[in-house]
Amino acid sequence: MDNNKTLTLGKKKSFFGFGSASLDKRKARAGWVFVLPFVLGLVLIYLPIIVDSLWFSLASMSYDSDGIMVTTFEGMKFYSDALLTDPNYSQTLIQGITDLLFSVPAIVIFSLFIAVILNQNMVGRAAFRAIFFVPVIIATGLMESINASDILADYMQSGATEEGAEAGQIISTMDIENLFSSMKIGGELVEYVTQLVNDIYDIVNRSGVQMLIFLAGLQSISPAIYEACRIDGATSWETFWKITFPMISPMILVNSVYTIIDAFTSESNVVMTYVSDIKDHSLASAMYWLYFLIIMAIIAVVALIASFFIFYQKRD
Amino acid sequence: MDSNNTMQAPIIKKESKNKIRVEFERTPLLERLKTKYLSLFFVKKLVWFLFRFLLMLGISYVILFPFFSKIAGSFMGTSDFVDVTVRIIPKDFNVDMYKYIFLENRYMEAFLNTTFLSVVCALIQTFVSCLIAYGLAKFKFKGNKLIFVLVVITMIIPHRTVSYALQQHFRYFDLFNFRGLGFPGILTSFGLLDEADGWSWLNSPTPLFLLSATGLAFKNGLYIFLLRQFFQGVPDELEESAYVDGSGVFRTFFTIIIPLSIPMMITVFLFSFSWQWTDEFYTMLFYSADSAHRWILMPDIYTTIPESLVQPDIYAGKTIYENAVRNTAGIMIIAPLVVLYLFCQKYLVQGIERSGIVG
Repeated sequence: MDNNKTLTLGKKKSFFGFGSASLDKRKARAGWVFVLPFVLGLVLIYLPIIVDSLWFSLASMSYDSDGIMVTTFEGMKFYSDALLTDPNYSQTLIQGITDLLFSVPAIVIFSLFIAVILNQNMVGRAAFRAIFFVPVIIATGLMESINASDILADYMQSGATEEGAEAGQIISTMDIENLFSSMKIGGELVEYVTQLVNDIYDIVNRSGVQMLIFLAGLQSISPAIYEACRIDGATSWETFWKITFPMISPMILVNSVYTIIDAFTSESNVVMTYVSDIKDHSLASAMYWLYFLIIMAIIAVVALIASFFIFYQKRD
Repeated sequence: MDSNNTMQAPIIKKESKNKIRVEFERTPLLERLKTKYLSLFFVKKLVWFLFRFLLMLGISYVILFPFFSKIAGSFMGTSDFVDVTVRIIPKDFNVDMYKYIFLENRYMEAFLNTTFLSVVCALIQTFVSCLIAYGLAKFKFKGNKLIFVLVVITMIIPHRTVSYALQQHFRYFDLFNFRGLGFPGILTSFGLLDEADGWSWLNSPTPLFLLSATGLAFKNGLYIFLLRQFFQGVPDELEESAYVDGSGVFRTFFTIIIPLSIPMMITVFLFSFSWQWTDEFYTMLFYSADSAHRWILMPDIYTTIPESLVQPDIYAGKTIYENAVRNTAGIMIIAPLVVLYLFCQKYLVQGIERSGIVG
């Protein structure tokens, strides 16, 4: 190793073993090597799967006498069948999308709120943090389907709840509705809020990753900014809206998109459950792809709207 | 300023060689407590503290109660489910449910198989996601952005959407095969594989390993996204100084970047391990139920009720009892995960905190 080598790095042959290309070029090649597993998998395995799935949605399948699959092109038949002939699909679709649009803001706001609290110094913070991330690690997949059919928890709580309230409800819907209707607040809003409170378990379950992303975002805000604010006499309310909120706004977009994707791909989704019961693979594929297109459109709209409000901190 | 001037100067007494005692007039204790605790500031703080604590406690209860109820129910005997006085604390305490699920549903076998599957998948996924994310975060090459968009798209397209095609592809496996369109695939066209059949990789862990190794498995897009954000936060100077010292790209990656990102990698490992552990969709898709030689995996533990626990139809608590058996199976499935989580939860937040995600 002579001293010259460090100075002539750009021409050093052993840098990546590709001869005397420029440093940028060699770095670009190294980049390709790093992403190679994904590119190979995408082209050789994933792309054929996607193309086949799309093809299945356009063609009907049958098996000939040797047991070999034969497909015949049918055009958009299955798509029109899904939308026009199937009596329940479009209704399920509308219900699924409304559920999605109502639950996404709730989950994003809830996870932001919890992340802000978990980020503060408080008694038992480590314990609360550990508990709040239990659902994301444990209550997925199998546990989700076990929990979905769990009547035991309701049964155990049923002795404790008062008459009139359904088992397992935290607040009695009637009480809250009476309270708010006397305050002349819109009935739909009240119903939405009480429903959210009663679905709190579901919301907590589905906001684990979002909480983590928000926590990471909150951690990345420099404490110096908060200090400057405090010295200038800003209250914590003002600090939240003027500092925390703009700084975390990119995370809000990320989390909204993630929540939409998560809700859309989850097994408990109404549309997914409905379509998974359909035996005809072509029809099912067509229904899945239709749903996918709609979700993509929603994500595009959300991203477009959010891009007007997002504040990006310029970093040097 | 004024008050400072009027205050008496503190008296300094020298007690010993290197010890002094400062005496000054202090505000009486009562007054000090008054100004400290009777201010609006303190009351506000106290109210917020109590509110926050109660809220956290309440939500923790909501999260943990289903687990408590499952554990309580798992120790109950048959008579407890028809006894009106028994709600949470079992009277007829026994461990029959655990015993028979362990013996008759072949828990140990499922445990070992799932451990193997989850550990290998999680290790591959963590490593491959790291590679891809590092490539996307630190190297500017043509198509970098496009590949990132493709990663996000693979995350958006749920595998359920393509489930049938996915199963078909691993039933008749070949690279780059468009069976629907009549192209049998690269290996078959070069005569390396028997035509029409391909490799059948169902009932083996290969499909999951292959999907993991190419960053296409369940939620790998999320891991790549998180790790990419993390690597973007790592200062470029670190690598540049390594390059200047004569280290190659890969050596830099393995000796500098990997040790640096251990907490983040543990986070990703924890996610991929536990999501693979509790996964039902892929195991059901790739391990078809009718095959006799297939592996027993975790989903098999809870879907069937052990013969010794099957109750006669005449028993009034039958539905709820079977539910309790299923819940017990659920506890047994997640018990190893809980142990793992207790060890790793510290890293979970740490890894994320250090990632410094900004958009």
